Amino acid sequence: MLSYLLLSGVTTGALYALVALGIVVVNKATGVINFAHGELFMFSGFIAWSLHVQMGVAYPLALPLAVAAGFALGALTDRIAFRPLIKADVISLVLATVGIAFVLRGVARIVWGGKGDYLSFPPITSPEPIMIGQIMVIPQQLAVLGGAILVMLLFAAFFRLTRAGKMMQATADNSKAATLVGIQTARIYTLSFGTGAAIAAAAAVLMAPLTLLYPDMGFAFFIKGFAAAVLGGLTSLPGAVLGGLSIGIIEALAGGYIHSSFIEVSAFIVIMFVLVVRPTGLLGFSRLRRV
Amino acid sequence: MTAALLSLRGVSVGFGGVKVLDGIDLDVRPGEIRGLIGPNGAGKTTLLNVVCGIHGPSQGDVLLEGRSIVGLKPSRIAALGLGRTFQTSQLFRGMTVLENLMSGLHRRTRAGLIAASLNLASYREEEARAEEEARLALEFIGMADFADRPGTALSFGQQRVIEIARTLIGDPKVVLLDEPAVGLSMNRLAEFDRLLRRIRDEKGVTLILIEHVIRLVMDVCDQVTVLSSGRRIADGPPDQVRNDPDVIEAYLGKELRARHTAS
Amino acid sequence: MNLFGRRNVLLALFALAAIAPHFVNTYHLFVCNLILVYVLLSIGLNILVGYAGQLAFANAAMFGIGAYGTGLLQVHFGLPFWLAFPLGAVIATSVGLAISLPALRVSGLYLALSSLAFAQFTQWVFLHWEKVTFGAGGFKTPTVSFAPLPVSKPIGLYYLTLILAAVLFLLAQNLVRSRIGRAFVAVRDGEVAAESLGIDLLRYKALAFGLSGFYAGIAGGIYSAMLNFVSPEGYDLFQMVLQKAMVVVGGLGSVAGSVLGAGAIVALLEALREVKGIQEIAFGAILVVFILFMPGGLVGFLKRKVPGWEEPLHRKGAGSAPAPAAAPAPAAGEARP
Ligand SMILES: Nc1ncnc2c1ncn2[C@@H]1O[C@H](COP(=O)(O)OP(=O)(O)O)[C@@H](O)[C@H]1O
Ligand SMILES: [Mg+2]
Repeated sequence: MLSYLLLSGVTTGALYALVALGIVVVNKATGVINFAHGELFMFSGFIAWSLHVQMGVAYPLALPLAVAAGFALGALTDRIAFRPLIKADVISLVLATVGIAFVLRGVARIVWGGKGDYLSFPPITSPEPIMIGQIMVIPQQLAVLGGAILVMLLFAAFFRLTRAGKMMQATADNSKAATLVGIQTARIYTLSFGTGAAIAAAAAVLMAPLTLLYPDMGFAFFIKGFAAAVLGGLTSLPGAVLGGLSIGIIEALAGGYIHSSFIEVSAFIVIMFVLVVRPTGLLGFSRLRRV
Repeated sequence: MTAALLSLRGVSVGFGGVKVLDGIDLDVRPGEIRGLIGPNGAGKTTLLNVVCGIHGPSQGDVLLEGRSIVGLKPSRIAALGLGRTFQTSQLFRGMTVLENLMSGLHRRTRAGLIAASLNLASYREEEARAEEEARLALEFIGMADFADRPGTALSFGQQRVIEIARTLIGDPKVVLLDEPAVGLSMNRLAEFDRLLRRIRDEKGVTLILIEHVIRLVMDVCDQVTVLSSGRRIADGPPDQVRNDPDVIEAYLGKELRARHTAS
Repeated sequence: MNLFGRRNVLLALFALAAIAPHFVNTYHLFVCNLILVYVLLSIGLNILVGYAGQLAFANAAMFGIGAYGTGLLQVHFGLPFWLAFPLGAVIATSVGLAISLPALRVSGLYLALSSLAFAQFTQWVFLHWEKVTFGAGGFKTPTVSFAPLPVSKPIGLYYLTLILAAVLFLLAQNLVRSRIGRAFVAVRDGEVAAESLGIDLLRYKALAFGLSGFYAGIAGGIYSAMLNFVSPEGYDLFQMVLQKAMVVVGGLGSVAGSVLGAGAIVALLEALREVKGIQEIAFGAILVVFILFMPGGLVGFLKRKVPGWEEPLHRKGAGSAPAPAAAPAPAAGEARP
């Protein structure tokens, strides 16, 4: 029981971790939270569904296509709701992304079904559970977990090794200095919004065969990803991964040992508690105010 | 010698292992204008932040009128009579100049939720007095005509002076000014010099002045403290500090030494 | 003074609202009542977000708590509406004060998250604590009686809402131009500077949360009575975006704007009633468009175009001295050009 719960917790947690990574990438670069992040995740999942189920594109090809679409949507979010507002206050910035979120959600509802309409994504592995040692494992979970780890590694490599990734890092560390050395910060912001959404898209496509797709799912993933990011200190990439895994495991355990309805709510209780007791997250260092 | 109004006793501050202030002692007597100078990054602003309660010191104590104020909330410390201005303009963007001044009266006014929302007579009288006092405070700095302008529509220098007035209106005993003269032209500087003296003489307020315009500091301050890399390297009357070889060497550097020998 | 100034326009709107029941049918009376409910919500939210600058997402939840509180106290304890309604508002106020606790320690984005988590938690309680809340299906509440007054329930409820909205509007308007309103704006525009002037962040953030909870609670109690029914979906994310759209469309940091925003949004909601599918898109897009192109909202537009719409943060004319001409007189502090 415990090992089964842990495995499914880690699997969902890995998806939360990916969503959280995207949130952190945007926050590191821009200092804001993209409240449309969950909807970008949801939308990319539906795009993959259309490609794979409706148009018959093979899964291994649908995945990168949806990731590219996610990147484009993220970059578009930057152009609409961040770049024109770069001098505005945080409240305006956040509310603009909230607006985008509802537009995406409404569009998804019209295109892919109304409230309560769930679309299923065909499994890409055998749905039969297998036994590894004592543990019952659904192959799809392993595929998701493996895929998530692969995406994290790819992203780490991108961030550490490529020129674009290094520029993103430099901008996050010190945007003034980055401007001085000739980095065009506006482009870095676009790149960050795009990259964040691309990671979310990968998460959505990995998750799709495991569950159902529905227009309201974005928000649930967003708030859990956000919670994971905050647990990890909001600007730490490894922190986001740890935060995501923690939330996945907590949910699975709460669902298994208390009641299935607690799956939903345990993350919210944890996050309210953490924010009161330790507002800077588990890994975050207290940032002192500068005046 | 009168008792100190504000004292620091061995105050140290560290940020993530780096010591930004290292065992600072300071005594400011009532009625003094104290200069606080030092190169960029010396820890001057950090010192003000510790005094007004934004950071706690990792060691040492801060006393206002002999009472420790370490650990109190900034708003509490302000209520005890400590005012300050900031290195960057901190006027409230959504308010006119007059309203900014009136918000400086916050702790000297009383109207609560009921009196204010019901527009009771007690509140209306208090509000009228507050407005009048705010207008007088604007006259004091010679900016009465600017009352109804949005604060952010003014020049940087004007904003800084309004901030000083906003702090003064709260009737503080001591005011900490963080680089208030940035953005002032040479002829405005002379006026500013007079303003600082008037604040001390007419309002009876003790001042601590962080400033890069050395001429202003040497001119107006009774005592000057020099910080460098978080340590106090000199303390005394301007003439003594000006000639202190440590200061010339460690802080003022080549440029001023050249000028110094030239004059 | 100014014929189309804020005061006259709002008075005219009030007069219109007061005689409206004589001219409109039952359905439109319901819509008018809904506007008044949203006026209450919008004023409360504007105090919190527009004045005090706290980015909180729990207003829809507090609206729900007011509605559930009022309804459940009647259903479970048999309390009359006239007792359950104020108690529901008290509960919402207390919850508002309670969720301000994290806001005092965490600011900005963290507050956004903790209030979102709280809103989701509230939804979950409405849905899953079935013994008390009756779950997803919701529950019916008793019809409010206005006896011994000779008015029907819809008319009585309408006038009750109108009186409450007018009174709470005036109280809010007085409040925001007092030292308390200035303290809110100071906290919004610069926490550190506000504290340096002796403004206690804890106190004023808690006050703003408590007030917004109170307004939302009153609105919720009335809403439950209007519908005779309470269910979780009235207080969900769509409700959240509606309320955010109201304060942005009306104008952040404007009590008068809250009224205009509520009217505009409910009118649009009605216009789109036949095409529910595009409501989310419409309100999301409105939020984006106003933030991008009309950041001051409708009131910002009126302030620029029509004299007499200013909302100063102090009582105009309380002190002396007419506004001087804007000639840039020389002053200490003029910067070098
Ligand atoms: N909140 C903070 N967190 C970390 N380091 C800080 C913080 N504030 C200041 N510092 C560092 O402390 C040193 C002193 O800064 P400051 O007091 O602002 O100097 P000054 O005002 O004398 O120019 C600088 O090296 C600065 O980078
Ligand atoms: Mg400094």
